[in-house]
Amino acid sequence: MQGGLSYTREFTAGFTASLCVFFLVMAFVSYGYALQDSLGPGPGFFPFWLGLLGAAISATLVVQSWRGLLVLEGEESKWPDRTGAIRTIVLLAGIAIAAAILEPLGFRITAFAFTVTMLLALGVRRLVIIVVFGLVSGFGLFHVFYYWLKVPLPIGAMGL
Amino acid sequence: MDSLAHLMAGFSAAMTPAYLTYALIGCIFGTLIGVLPGLGPAAGTAILIPITFKLDPTGAIIMLAAIYYGAMYGGTITSVLLNVPGEAASVITCLDGHQMAKQGRGGTALGIAAIGSFVGGLFATVALVLVAPPLAKFALTFGPPEYFALMVFGLCLVSGLAGKSLAAAMVMTAFGLIISLIGIDPVRGAPRFTFSVPELYDGLGVVPVVMGLFGIAEILITAEQRSRDMIRTSFKGLFPSRAEWRRSWGAIARGTGIGFFLGLIPGIGAIVPTFMSYIVEKRVSKTPEEFGNGAIEGVAGPETANNAYANAAMVPFLTLGIPSSPTIAVLMGAFIINGLTPGPFLFQERPDLVWTVIASFFIGNVMLLVLNLPLVGLWAKILEVPFKYLAVGVLLFCIMGAYSLKQSPFDVWVMLGFGVLGYLFRKVNLPVAPLVLGLILGPAIETSLRTSLEMSAGDFGILAERPLCLGLLIASALVLAASALSLAPRALREGEAEV
Amino acid sequence: MKTLFNRMLAATGALLLAGTAAAQDFPSRQVELMVAYPAGGSTDIGARIVASVAEKIMGQPMVVVNKGGAGGQVGWTDMASRKSDGYFIGYINLPATNTVILDPERKASFGIDAFTPIINQVLDPGLVWVRADSPYKSFKDLMEAAKKQPGTIRAATTGILSDDHLAILMAEEAVPGATFRLVHLKGGAEQFKEIMAGNVDVAFDNVGSVVNRIRSGEARGLIVMDTERSKFLPDVETTVELGYKTVVSNSTRGIAGPAGIPAPVVAKLADILGKAMADPDHIKKMEGAGLALKIMKGDEYKKYYAATHARAKQLMDWAKSRPQ
Repeated sequence: MQGGLSYTREFTAGFTASLCVFFLVMAFVSYGYALQDSLGPGPGFFPFWLGLLGAAISATLVVQSWRGLLVLEGEESKWPDRTGAIRTIVLLAGIAIAAAILEPLGFRITAFAFTVTMLLALGVRRLVIIVVFGLVSGFGLFHVFYYWLKVPLPIGAMGL
Repeated sequence: MDSLAHLMAGFSAAMTPAYLTYALIGCIFGTLIGVLPGLGPAAGTAILIPITFKLDPTGAIIMLAAIYYGAMYGGTITSVLLNVPGEAASVITCLDGHQMAKQGRGGTALGIAAIGSFVGGLFATVALVLVAPPLAKFALTFGPPEYFALMVFGLCLVSGLAGKSLAAAMVMTAFGLIISLIGIDPVRGAPRFTFSVPELYDGLGVVPVVMGLFGIAEILITAEQRSRDMIRTSFKGLFPSRAEWRRSWGAIARGTGIGFFLGLIPGIGAIVPTFMSYIVEKRVSKTPEEFGNGAIEGVAGPETANNAYANAAMVPFLTLGIPSSPTIAVLMGAFIINGLTPGPFLFQERPDLVWTVIASFFIGNVMLLVLNLPLVGLWAKILEVPFKYLAVGVLLFCIMGAYSLKQSPFDVWVMLGFGVLGYLFRKVNLPVAPLVLGLILGPAIETSLRTSLEMSAGDFGILAERPLCLGLLIASALVLAASALSLAPRALREGEAEV
Repeated sequence: MKTLFNRMLAATGALLLAGTAAAQDFPSRQVELMVAYPAGGSTDIGARIVASVAEKIMGQPMVVVNKGGAGGQVGWTDMASRKSDGYFIGYINLPATNTVILDPERKASFGIDAFTPIINQVLDPGLVWVRADSPYKSFKDLMEAAKKQPGTIRAATTGILSDDHLAILMAEEAVPGATFRLVHLKGGAEQFKEIMAGNVDVAFDNVGSVVNRIRSGEARGLIVMDTERSKFLPDVETTVELGYKTVVSNSTRGIAGPAGIPAPVVAKLADILGKAMADPDHIKKMEGAGLALKIMKGDEYKKYYAATHARAKQLMDWAKSRPQ
């Protein structure tokens, strides 16, 4: 697994390096807020020092991971195979699209579309189940929450 | 023993069929609400306030309190089974509870959580009855400087959450702390790090963040695996082994103490006692390496602490009228709408009402246990639903839950973003719990320091002049020193280790 | 004979009919009533009481939606961006809404014209109060002490730039040389706790939040900042009767919508909500909660909104002009 190990090592080092950059950016932005105030620490004080501290510690993590010390054992460290990766990406895309269309198209349509597409993406093929699931989640859930429990759920442009 | 006589009267008043029914409905509704991620006790209680308009004040309050406790247990159910914390306090339960569920012992986890919650709640209510007024005075000794010191102390305990790498835990804590500062600052009331995004003025919500970090990340990690091992929940798996029982009792006892004392301090937030209980259990355990992999004390302790805290939080609420959490604030709203103001006045004016409500706390705790314990096996079976259906359902509920917090799709985006982050964190083995601790304690630390300085007109000496505050700060320093010392040899070894 | 003029006439007529038809139809589904604060606070309580009565009058659900955060800024920012069809309305809290708009640091994305005021519900007068055993027996005592030892008396507000904060500024303006040490807390419950614990010396809040504590004897009301005595606290003097005519402070909670709601719909809403607020059940519940009603509709409310804005601006400018 030599190749797999170094792949993880590079990724970990890269990820912790991005963390380091993030902390530096936050420290930089905080410097623009006042560090001192008439009463003591100003709005920029805590984030500035936290940013510097975080950058310093994550720098040590970059070193540690480059030397291979921050490696997982077990299932989770392995990168997914093609089908697994596709599944994950599809789920993410599904949530993102749902978030985007939730208010314009309304809850019922969003929930129905989300349920149907996700079920298909995860490999369900029985059309009856898909449609029933979709209707229950889109319309059934809406009815329970909007009408009975008075949870305000979005109604979109088309009245759904 | 005046209180005891009052309590007896309260019991006889509370045991009417009507009130018992309200308590039952409240427990059931509450559990269902708690099971829905994001909806949480506060939203759930708020939603059900209109229903309580139709009841008499005592009945309304009994039902709302039952909903509150029920919702907390419902949150435990999703944390254990699905790794989805409904609110910040359930986060700790995810750590070991979900691992237990993956090992087929979900029923055990839920069972011990129910039992621990019951014991914790019972003791807290008993203590409330016996010593409410003097306890109220204790609550008052905590002013802004003491809060600051207590939160700092809580933060220093994060080293107890560190696995192999203290640096990793510290980075994650710093990350949580720094993103907690996004939003309007308590100093000038001006926005920080909001980059003109109006939804960020109130900061990243804790609930969407933890739902993403734990729930969404878990689904993503599971999705990418070739096939998920079917989780078999055997009947034997429902009961803890004898050894586990023994370990749990200690955790339950300690959790009760921790939860109770912290519950007396108004406004602490349920996350502090649950984190503290977890850390204490890890410290006293003979097998600390089990924590994070399904140690039963990691569920028993925090769940007990959580419920003891919730029951004890009724002390500052009933005796002083100070709500300790948004949910209790809603409960207080219900009191006020019904023309009652919680506080010492109410104890004197309407002892019948107050003691009936307290009696119903007892009843509610018992009811929850009776309701949930037999259902534990049923709940655990949820995990046997094939992933492709379960994931879609859970995701849909998470989306709905995140949206319903503030009727904003932005919170769904936050949840998604932190879902991706949570996934990446797990790939590189960075611990997520310290992030949550930082996220929650950050604003509290900064605000309480700021308020303390307003009180003292900028004099830092106020922190040293108040004995309780000074004591807690010294304790924090000691804890930091101790963890540094104990982990130093390991860190040195890490530096030399070969992989 | 379809001249342009006739066509326009017909079109205008159709629009008007449609407008009034819309108003007649209105509401045909649930109406959302937003509160810019978390559930359980006094604005929220007032909202839930009025919503429960209004629902019955209009035959459609009225759902209270909590959008708390940033002292109300999150909720008002959201409301300003909503559709002006009348189905989303919410509470504006004066002068809090005004100060959010006026404070340049807040970078509010909405201005005074972003809202259509519909009807005001509550006017909660400002109140200065102390713990029952406090050495300050009257407002005069307090102001004299503040003058003798400027900047030492710890005065608590319920938030930066809240009406309480403005009230303190008013008091300092009226008694030159008197200054307080401001401690900004988060809400009435925290204020109560810190007063009881002795961490602050005096609190500026509103009658509704404190009335029950005064009745129970835990707190002493020093003065009510209004032109007339509060019917909940008839024994407490007012600033105006003592001669401090410029110290009039209160928090009003009223219902508004985003700018641009058609006039017939506004009228319908004002009508429904007005009837709800006049309902005896509503009045009884509000009184039990210590919330004083002051119903202002239409132009009266619009004028009040503008006046509050002007006074808030004047106070904020004055505070900035002082040497810090």
